[in-house]
This record gives sequence, structure tokens and C-alpha cells, in this order.
Amino acid sequence: MMRFLPWAYLIAAFVFIYLPVGVLVLFSFQEGTLPVPPFNGPSLQWYQTILGDEDLMAALRNSILVAFGSSAVAVTLGFLAAYGLARHVLPGSTLIRGLLIAPLTVSYLIVGLGLLIVLTRSGFGVSLWTAAIGHVVINLPLAFAIIYASMGAQQQNAERAARDLGASEPKVIMLVTVPMLLPSIAAAFFLSVTLSWDEFIISFLLTRFDVTLPVEIWSLLRSGLSPQLNAIGSFVFLISVAVVLLLELTIFRKGRQ
Amino acid sequence: MTASVTFSGLNHWFGQFQALSGIDLQIEAGEYVTLLGPSGCGKTTLLSILGGFLEPTEGRVLIGGQDLTRVAPVKRPTTTVFQDYALFPHMSLRDNVGFGLRMSGMGRKARHARAEQMLDLVGLKDAALKRPHALSGGQRQRVALARALAVNPDVLLLDEPLGALDLKLRRSMQDELKSIQQQIGTTFVHVTHDQEEAMAIADRIVVMSRGRIEDHGTPDRVYRHPATLFTADFMGENNHIEGVKSGAGVETPFGLLPAQNAPASAAAAICLRPEDIRADDQGSFPMGQATVTAAAFFGTYCRAHLSPACAPDLNLTAYLAPDRAWAQGDVLSLSADVENFRLFEPETP
Repeated sequence: MMRFLPWAYLIAAFVFIYLPVGVLVLFSFQEGTLPVPPFNGPSLQWYQTILGDEDLMAALRNSILVAFGSSAVAVTLGFLAAYGLARHVLPGSTLIRGLLIAPLTVSYLIVGLGLLIVLTRSGFGVSLWTAAIGHVVINLPLAFAIIYASMGAQQQNAERAARDLGASEPKVIMLVTVPMLLPSIAAAFFLSVTLSWDEFIISFLLTRFDVTLPVEIWSLLRSGLSPQLNAIGSFVFLISVAVVLLLELTIFRKGRQ
Repeated sequence: MTASVTFSGLNHWFGQFQALSGIDLQIEAGEYVTLLGPSGCGKTTLLSILGGFLEPTEGRVLIGGQDLTRVAPVKRPTTTVFQDYALFPHMSLRDNVGFGLRMSGMGRKARHARAEQMLDLVGLKDAALKRPHALSGGQRQRVALARALAVNPDVLLLDEPLGALDLKLRRSMQDELKSIQQQIGTTFVHVTHDQEEAMAIADRIVVMSRGRIEDHGTPDRVYRHPATLFTADFMGENNHIEGVKSGAGVETPFGLLPAQNAPASAAAAICLRPEDIRADDQGSFPMGQATVTAAAFFGTYCRAHLSPACAPDLNLTAYLAPDRAWAQGDVLSLSADVENFRLFEPETP
């Protein structure tokens, strides 16, 4: 009995986590207009619908663009800030560190509202660019914290050795620091991509005509439940799983050896 | 390539703490010098100043006659072998060793050839394409040495390079360092806190304490005729006997020790190496009877603690011949030769 309980718990936990996803994927193959039992199918009609939907495909492209673009900027800025603060003694560096990390504690709604007010008041207006700026704002503290935490004496000594052997500062960074920190830089980048990919509130507030995928899904939801939404969810899920598997087989496998 | 090094009038402060005071030292081209001292004595600070990682508060550093006091490490004809190796973990050994050449703009082919030649010098030619993590500590140290030597420095700096290795490996690396240095003729400046290591490899030992140079000279000179009490103690085990100046010599518990070079002070600190205590009465300075209070067998000698009859509180250490088993309570007569005593002014704390 006691040996059975832990297994029961484990199974229950996984069912709890994966049942909604399973149901979502299952009803994306629904034949008919309602994503509720009974299941009539399978059919690929909804996949056909979403792949043929111009707005949806544009939103998907926008999401990819915003996620990768804003993450690249956030990680670059976060790395430079971490390098500067870890390698140089600056007046008030504790305060600077605090100010860099503080936005993590501010809710996305507040960040989004603040940006919205500033951008509209200053005449910039909102667009896909402003959503990307919003994502840089929320991902920069995270990227900074991850990269800063992984900077230790080991890289510092290697950097010193590189300088001793005649490397200029940009070469030290490009040939020694970045390659040595690659695992944490990659982790910060992919975490940023994931967060940006999912993010709704800021994208909703800071976009108008070109929207990201979560905003597009939300506007579809307003017209009621449809297996089309299940198909979008499953499709996005499939992409995520594929990316994770790909990373697992390439970058992270290398790091483990 | 090789060059001489001159430190003149160096002083360095870290905030309120004076890390170096009044360092004047000349190192000849092609010399193997060790900077020896306990931790905190300033030896690593001095090496950092020579490497250009620190700028001294006062004084000048000349390498090959040129004043390089305020020149960055990049532009100095020096390279460093770091204690923790500081290899680049993401590069093969060949790329590690070739890094300095790559920075100086040497082409890939020439660079690889030179790197392989340097790896051959340290016996790692077959491992050229391995990564540092696949190597043992001793091998990593060799790679660090090859990497520093690949750019043909005039002066090679070694910052406790053997500190992380076990004793046996350390001994064999010491021999190897010495023979590589003789082969290439570069000036080596090697920092260590291990006096045996210093004696094993150095042409000249520079003993440092509290930011000052206490003594410098060949290993046997520094060991046999140390300039200061600190050097005498740091270079190996010593017996301390207190004495008071009296006429032609120094009055000790064992009698009057004739001495021409007694210190200026009234009291004298007398040092006698454990191996200079004789277990017979044939020495020129008889020390009377003594009782063994403890003894341990060390292979080439027997290290005994002795309590002399004339001064029972004085605990002498002696290295006795190992051909007989000394035990607690054994009584023997002691003597030493007058020329083996060293006299110093007592240290003021």
C-alpha cells in the first residue's frame, strides 16, 4: 500500500498538469464547431482554417519577431551590465544593481500602463516596436540577474590571462568571456524568448494594428469557443516542444559532457 | 628572448596598508629567481607590479633597461603562469597555446605549428586537440606554461604555479621547470611560499616579509648564512638560544660562545640548525649532556627533541643519525661547531 501511494501521487500530479493540454490537443481534431465532448473526428479542418488565416499567420510572425528581437536586445544589454558591474568597481554599484533588478517586482500591468502613457504622450504612438520595447523592459532584469550570477573568479582569471597574452578588451569579451558564459547567456535568451512569446498584457496595451499571437487569440476568443483556438494552441505547443527537443539535442547536450 | 629586471624604490599601499616598502632589486637576464615568503609578505603584489596588473604607488620598474612602470600588461614583454592555470576551457590545447600568437596577428598555420612545438616542449604534443578539462592538474600546468612561453616573453612570471599539485608531482614539475628555463634562457620570476621549492629551482632566492626584502642570494648562502633572523627561521627549522654579549663573545647557557660578528645589541638571538647539533663531544663547542624527550624516525635522519642538562627548559631539535633507534629518556652528549652558530639581534615585535 505504502509503495503504491507515491506512484498514485506522481500519476495524479502529471494528469493534473497534462490533462488540459491533452484535451486541448484532442479537440483541435474535432469535426464540428464546438470543442466539447462528444469527440467526432479526427479531422484536420481547423488546422486548414488557421494556416489559411492571414491575420493569424501575421500575428505568429510578429510574435516570433518580437520574441527573438527583444530577447537578443535584453540579453545583450543584460550581459554588458553584468560584465561592467562584475568587473569594475563603480560608485554606487549596489544601488545600480538594485535598480536593474527592481523591475522584476513590478507587475506587467503597471509596466505596460507606464510605457503606454509615456509613449502616447511623447507622440511615439504604439506599434510592434513598442511591444518589443516593453518586452526588453521586463526581460532585461532577468537576463542581467542570470548572467551576473554566473560570473565568477574563473572567468575573471581567464580574462586576465587573455589580457596578459595581448588581447584587447573587445577580444577578451568576444573570445573568452562570452564563450565561457555561453550556457547562462543561452539560458537567459531562451527564458526571455519564452516569456515574451507568452506575454499578453504589455502586448495588448502597446500594439494596435500589428499584434502578437496572444493578442490575436484573445480577440478570437471574444467571438466564443471554437476548435480553431484548440488548433492554434496545439500548433504553438508543437513548435515549443520541437524547439525544446532541438535545444536539448544540440546546445545543452554539449554543456553536459 | 630574455631581459633583466630592475625594481627601484618601490612602495605600494592598499589604502592604509603598506604592501611593499622600499623594494630595490636587480634581476639579471636569464636568471631563475624565486620570491619567497609567507602569505601577505608582498611577493604576489611585487609580481603583479612586474606583470603590469598593478601600478606601484611609488618607484620604477625597468625591464631590459626600459622604464615600463605604467605600461599595461598587453604591451609588456612579460607573460604569466597563474596558480589556477586560467586556461580557456572552450578551446583546444592548441588554441590555448596559440592564443597569444593569434592576438599578435600570426596566421593560422604558423600559429598551429608554433603551438604544437610548444606543446612538444612540455610533453603534450599528442593531446593538442583535447580540451583542458580532459587533463590532470599537472598537465594543465604544463599547458599554462606552454601558452605563456609561446609568445617568446623576455620575462616569465610564475605565480605559485605548483601550489595545487601533490608533492611527488610538484618535485618532478620543479625539475622540469628548471630544465625548460635552462633550455630557453628566459628570465623566470617564480613566487612561492615553499622554501624547499625555492631551493630546488632557484639560481637566487629573494626572501620577503612584511613588504620588505629580508635577504637575497643563492640557496645555500641564504640557508647557511641568512642575513636576518626572519630568513634564518623561514628557510628551515632552527633552534633558538638566548645569549648576552660578554667581552669576546656571547654568554649562553652552554658557556661562552666566541663570536666575531656579535650584534650591536646587548642581547643576542642565536640560531643553530638541527643538523648541526652533533651527538658526540667532538665539536668545537661542547654543549654537555642532554636527555631525549621525544624522537621520530624520518628515514634519512631521526628528529629528536632534547632537553640539555644545563638548561632543562630549552627544547632543542636535532637531526640525529638514523643508525640507532633513539628513544625517550636516552642520554647523550652534545656539541656543535662554533662556525655553525648564527647570531642576530633579537626581533622586536
